[in-house]
Amino acid sequence: MRRSLFEKVWDAHVVEELPGGNALVFMDLVVAHEITTPPGAIAIERDFGDALYDAGRIVAMLDHVAPAKDTATALQAQTVRTWAKRHGIRFHDIGDNGICHVLVPERGYVTPGMTVCCGDSHTCTLGAFGAFALGIGTTAQAGAMLSGCLILQRPKVMRVEVTGALPADATAKDLALTVIATIGFRGGTGYVLEYTGSAIRALSMEQRMTLCNMAIEAGATTGIVAADATTAAYLAATPSAPASWTAQAADDGAEYAATVTIDATTIAPVVSWGTNPGECVPITGRVPDDADAASLAYMDLRPGQPVRSIEIDQAFIGSCTNARIGDLRAAADVLRGRRVAVPTIVTPGSQAVRRQAEREGLHDVFQDAGALWTHSSCGPCLGMSMGVLAPGMRCVSSSNRNFPGRMGEGGRVHLAAPAVVAASAILGRLASPSEIAAASSPLVPA
Amino acid sequence: MIVEGAVLAIPRANIDTDQIIPARYLTRIDAAGMGEHCFDGLPDCTALLASRPGASVLVTGENFGCGSSREHAAWALTGRGFRAVIAPSFARIFLENAYTNALVPIALPQPVVDELARADRIAIDVAAQTLRADGGEPIGFELDPLRKQFVLGGGFLPYLAAKIPSVRAWEAAR
Ligand code: SF4
Repeated sequence: MRRSLFEKVWDAHVVEELPGGNALVFMDLVVAHEITTPPGAIAIERDFGDALYDAGRIVAMLDHVAPAKDTATALQAQTVRTWAKRHGIRFHDIGDNGICHVLVPERGYVTPGMTVCCGDSHTCTLGAFGAFALGIGTTAQAGAMLSGCLILQRPKVMRVEVTGALPADATAKDLALTVIATIGFRGGTGYVLEYTGSAIRALSMEQRMTLCNMAIEAGATTGIVAADATTAAYLAATPSAPASWTAQAADDGAEYAATVTIDATTIAPVVSWGTNPGECVPITGRVPDDADAASLAYMDLRPGQPVRSIEIDQAFIGSCTNARIGDLRAAADVLRGRRVAVPTIVTPGSQAVRRQAEREGLHDVFQDAGALWTHSSCGPCLGMSMGVLAPGMRCVSSSNRNFPGRMGEGGRVHLAAPAVVAASAILGRLASPSEIAAASSPLVPA
Repeated sequence: MIVEGAVLAIPRANIDTDQIIPARYLTRIDAAGMGEHCFDGLPDCTALLASRPGASVLVTGENFGCGSSREHAAWALTGRGFRAVIAPSFARIFLENAYTNALVPIALPQPVVDELARADRIAIDVAAQTLRADGGEPIGFELDPLRKQFVLGGGFLPYLAAKIPSVRAWEAAR
């Protein structure tokens, strides 16, 4: 039988078929962070003699609220810290940490053909490496730490072929949002999105991660991209430089439950106007005439309004979607020599990214522009710390979710690529980077 | 197992887990206290939520539980007294979390859900996979046959623990 890439990885990890179309699927790596891990770790300690299937298959870090902001989050961090130490689990404490979906690949912990799970929905990011990587709940994660396995329904596979090449001003974020708008905000439910085509092969690993990161925003179990020379080069440059892995690809003529084709040449910079990531339009466009009434009311917008007329109160460049070095370079290129008009927070995806950015002087670019340059954390992406929105505040963000209240109670979020966020920060309204490039003189004296 | 109780209908699609339990409450190392904050992130719903105190069956829109993987959403719902959720569809991770927390996830076609949203009380026979709204005709529904066991008898982690020897054997032969 001719198989998709996903099916090959899946088949190689099925320990046992279970009733009702379920399977016991072996997990090569379990990623653990401080928000979702403690209850599961405590349950294993209490009910199963603290026995882990294989502590060597776990990697843990502090990322969501790091360093801790209060007693409760300090207790979460300390619980993971002591648990990791007790079991000899690889652990990345503050200073050496990063957002899990940024840190795990940059350290070389994920290789093609692996299975990875984490109590975090954006684990799908790691599908960029040709791995089967998925988010799960706390109890399922505990099950994987206890038994090495998840119980899963075998997902269907949707082939998402992206032909042609992305235009110079379009990014992987724009492609990710366009995929969601194309298949629908819940159109990927029950599927793995297998990305293929010339535009995908041309993406860097960072861009593939941005694309796969948002597979969950279409409801998909995960996204996956076949490993190639780009993958090999990335892995060879990681600290652990994993030597042994085999690149797999879909068989020619593999059958897919669904197929979608997107012409990359039609992709333009987009921005979300509504309350889910599927509600987006080109930055040059308008709020749709048939826009959902509840989304409009929450966002305080009217149909037909040009999105570039929408004024913002804050800008955020960060998150597991768009806070890698390439993202920071793209934002810095727009901000260099300019001044931001609204409070702007730049939060690198990991401490390693932070240090690389500083070696390149990007921290000076951001701070010269008047932005706040922070240590790595999830920060305001999930409205827990470091820039939570006040009710009614409007933020343009390089993150992945614009749900009501996501970045703070009553806060409004517009999702966009880092360069769009930077341009918007300068102009104080949603803006295209081309508007900045077109400005005849720098907006600040040199 | 019979789940019987008052209905709370929230006829909205795409209620994500941030709306069920906002991240500002995700600061505990256990599942306690989440019920108090159930639906704190749902805009304009204070009156709606207050109108049905003690409801144990939630009837809602498609793609319920999308977004964040946080199991806190299931803990918030069960902590608030919900024992079943009826919707046209669920997001995958929420569905898995519902089963492991004995929150019965019932997917039915939109017209049936619309009908059930008007009911005062619903009685659900989980083992038989049927429900009745206000004493009406029984309506059948599907459940994952394996995960149904975890709803009826708990034991998700013990089930996996019992698999460890065969997992080790599989890994050794890999
Ligand atoms: S950056 Fe945001 S989306 Fe990514 S893991 Fe952190 S909280 Fe989740």
